[in-house]
Amino acid sequence: MDDRALNLVMEAGKTMLANGGEVFRAQDTMDIMARSLGVEDFNVYVLTNGIFASAQGGTVNAVRHIPSVSIHLGRVEAVNAISRDLAAGRLDLDGAEAALAAAVALPPTRFAARLLSAAVGSGCFAFLFGGGGPEICMALMAGFAESVLTHLIRLSGSSRIFSDILAAWLCTTLVLLGRMALPGLDANTAIIGALMVLTPGVALTMGIRDFINADYLSGTIRLFDAVLVAGCLACGVALAYLLANVLLGVVP
Amino acid sequence: MTLQEFASLVIQFVVAMIATICFSISFQVPRRHYLACGETGAVGWLVYIVCTAAGLSAPVATLVAALPLTACSRLFAIRHKAPITLFLLCGIFPLVPGAGIYYTAYYFLQNAQSLCLDKGVETLKIAVALALGIALVCSLPLPKQISLRQYNGPKQSR
Repeated sequence: MDDRALNLVMEAGKTMLANGGEVFRAQDTMDIMARSLGVEDFNVYVLTNGIFASAQGGTVNAVRHIPSVSIHLGRVEAVNAISRDLAAGRLDLDGAEAALAAAVALPPTRFAARLLSAAVGSGCFAFLFGGGGPEICMALMAGFAESVLTHLIRLSGSSRIFSDILAAWLCTTLVLLGRMALPGLDANTAIIGALMVLTPGVALTMGIRDFINADYLSGTIRLFDAVLVAGCLACGVALAYLLANVLLGVVP
Repeated sequence: MTLQEFASLVIQFVVAMIATICFSISFQVPRRHYLACGETGAVGWLVYIVCTAAGLSAPVATLVAALPLTACSRLFAIRHKAPITLFLLCGIFPLVPGAGIYYTAYYFLQNAQSLCLDKGVETLKIAVALALGIALVCSLPLPKQISLRQYNGPKQSR
């Protein structure tokens, strides 16, 4: 009984972290679920990429590793709802297990919708950063191409570093090519609009939120993650400028 | 305020809303929350541009904008009975220092040390301001019956 309950709590926490929930939210949710399910002496330590827990006076232990996060807030909400229902007594262990399986199986948004939203989002950001019609159109196209590329790379199973560098390279190259056709184009605005989808702004802000919550280890992990992604994007952009300069004679 | 300025504010509001909704689609927020996410992001952006137009620096404007933004997220979290993360993660997107990160890394590679440092410090300031604003509003206590409904809401201390 306790093993199953502990397992459920661990999987719920793992689902939250792997889909973009915050560290303290995963911790709170797991504590509440364990209390509702009657897991004795439940102790848990949550990091950005791992969960360590013990129960029953330390005789039962469990560890989960969450190597990569892909944000799916629908699943976070579903797990939150499970813990709420458990605490209110509307779900028992079997029901919660079924509900968690359903939450994990929530499908991702359709590919076409994601493409469209990435393109439109890029265009909107180009406008918000002061771009005019040409910049918006370029950002729209670059954002579209870049999300097709990241999707293909993810399907092929390559690393995130590779996909970030390549995506940044692609959208910068496209915008620079566009500037050859339209000399008045403000390349920076269009590039930032298209890159906004990839920039680790959320990781940076969430890392600092972890610091404010006095969770220095998780904050550090997120900050380093943000720095790594930012470095990758910069490499991609620099590479594109370099190639454009050598091959096409574009001055940065 | 002239009519033209007002119209430009309205356009900014609408575009920020569309941008935020786009991000909530890529973050796979359930469809019923799209509008709430969009409003949260647009409110934050509107306050931000009004503040910068009034002459505040980017980090201060971000801090001021994060307050109503987080208040909106909390409100929607209570109304929709959903975790505040949904609205917060999408809503902060227009304010997140994406451009700052880009310029910092770009100047770093270009060997422009002082520009890189300037941008880097500003980016960090903006991120700290944003996180502080969120933490400030999240830690405000709510009246008891509301906070009971907002089960598992923001808890800032362990």
